[in-house]
Amino acid sequence: MAKLKAGNISKGIYVLHNGQPHYVAKTQFVSPGKGSAFTRARLQNLKSGATIDFVFKSHDSVEEIDVESKEMQFLYLGDDEVVFMDPRSFEQVSVPTALLDGKEKFLVPELKVYVQFYQEKPIGVNLPPKVEMVVEQAEEAVAGDRQTAGKKTVTMETGLTVQVPLFIKKGDHLVIDVDSGSYVSRAN
Amino acid sequence: MKNWQWLRTDPELKKKLLLREQVIDLLRQFFKTRQFHEVETPLMWPVPSAEPYLEVFETELLSPTRPPQKMYLLTSPEYALKKLIAGGLGNIFQITKAFRNNEGISNKHNPEFTILEWYRVEADYAQLMTDCEQWLVELVKKIHGTNQLVYQGKKYDFTPPFICLSVTEAFWQTLGLSVDQVTSIDALKSKALELGYQVGEEANYEHVFNQLFLNRVEPMIAEQTKPVILYDYPVELPSLARKKASDPRFVERFELYVAGLELGNAFSELTYLKEQKERLLADLALRRKLGKKAFPIDQEFIEALEAGLPPTAGMAIGVDRLVMLLADTAQISDTLFFPLAV
Repeated sequence: MAKLKAGNISKGIYVLHNGQPHYVAKTQFVSPGKGSAFTRARLQNLKSGATIDFVFKSHDSVEEIDVESKEMQFLYLGDDEVVFMDPRSFEQVSVPTALLDGKEKFLVPELKVYVQFYQEKPIGVNLPPKVEMVVEQAEEAVAGDRQTAGKKTVTMETGLTVQVPLFIKKGDHLVIDVDSGSYVSRAN
Repeated sequence: MKNWQWLRTDPELKKKLLLREQVIDLLRQFFKTRQFHEVETPLMWPVPSAEPYLEVFETELLSPTRPPQKMYLLTSPEYALKKLIAGGLGNIFQITKAFRNNEGISNKHNPEFTILEWYRVEADYAQLMTDCEQWLVELVKKIHGTNQLVYQGKKYDFTPPFICLSVTEAFWQTLGLSVDQVTSIDALKSKALELGYQVGEEANYEHVFNQLFLNRVEPMIAEQTKPVILYDYPVELPSLARKKASDPRFVERFELYVAGLELGNAFSELTYLKEQKERLLADLALRRKLGKKAFPIDQEFIEALEAGLPPTAGMAIGVDRLVMLLADTAQISDTLFFPLAV
């Protein structure tokens, strides 16, 4: 296991906290009034699923857990699991949907992801930062009045809803930012 | 897409972004009607602030006839405003850009931000608390029509008086620590160890205090549904605040919190030349110890203190966070036309 300074931990890594493996769901730099640097981390316990916020001094030392990362392809969404396949060995792996933390709505057919394993068990999935997908449902924009017109909500092929500019139509290919779930651009 | 592009189609964002204009107008009006002078001071200085935990932006002043000279962007207009107080201007305020390096870019941080500072002469921090109660409720009323607003799904009431809580009371309520324990590094360390925090050899008072504060005290403050004035900080925390006459283990300093957002920091200013010099030197020594660049002391600031400052109290407010609160957004980037994107 590798020792890290808390100031260097980042979202997406796995650490040992109070003896338990945790996923780092979010980190934020904190500098209280007239104070030194702290790191606020949102940690998800891999065993219990419970989430806590913990503030580390930036020079606290944190143990990073060794996880194995394997490139896999998205196959299909089950009732409460997501199935991925290793494109080389065709071996299939099921990951509990809860571990995707809502990110299952970015899984378009054949999307390449990295599945993380800890002690042989899948513990998480890393998606690419941006995913291209098709608009399945979009209302027609109201013509004309640009001053009062706003954004509109469209539904993507995966069921994800996104706020987009008015010119977006059904069938358009869009690039969506996975982290924020927001519209980036039209795909070419 | 960039904010200027969204502006074309998103009236909600436009409303949020234009709120800044209204907030700044109202703040300006508040201080002007109370006979404060509005001043403008440089963004670029030859000597930066000595604050141990702030990083400055550096640049270079070039000249055809002289060697290049290092210049620094201000982290706050504090020194300049105190020099003007020494110059006899009386009550003053400034709304300006300020710059802090290496604080990260997050939903609450943009390296370039807007700061309001005001200074009252012949006053102490108690008057600043009253100022806060007055301008904050006035802003909320003028913008939202009532004394209340909803921020991120929770309702907050701005009717004065605000919740006034001393640091000691807050530590007592959340951690069961007494006044004597809050001011003792050993007591804080053993509390931190008990809670499973790492207490290394290098851990100083500020580290342990703030780790307890951020993990245990701040969440309690964030739960309050009125603004919170947290006052009287231990003297061991670096600041340019005056010691309390009644208990010199604390300084006359307060912070203003609403909805867990730290909006500003205030204190009765230290005006004794000797103590101020000692603290500046201690700050610089701490910078060196932290492996940061140590800068010379701002001699002109020392000269201002020699010339004599009247009893003064001053406060700094983060205007961007204030706009976040009034616009009901958790993203500082929703309050800036051009947030820095990385």
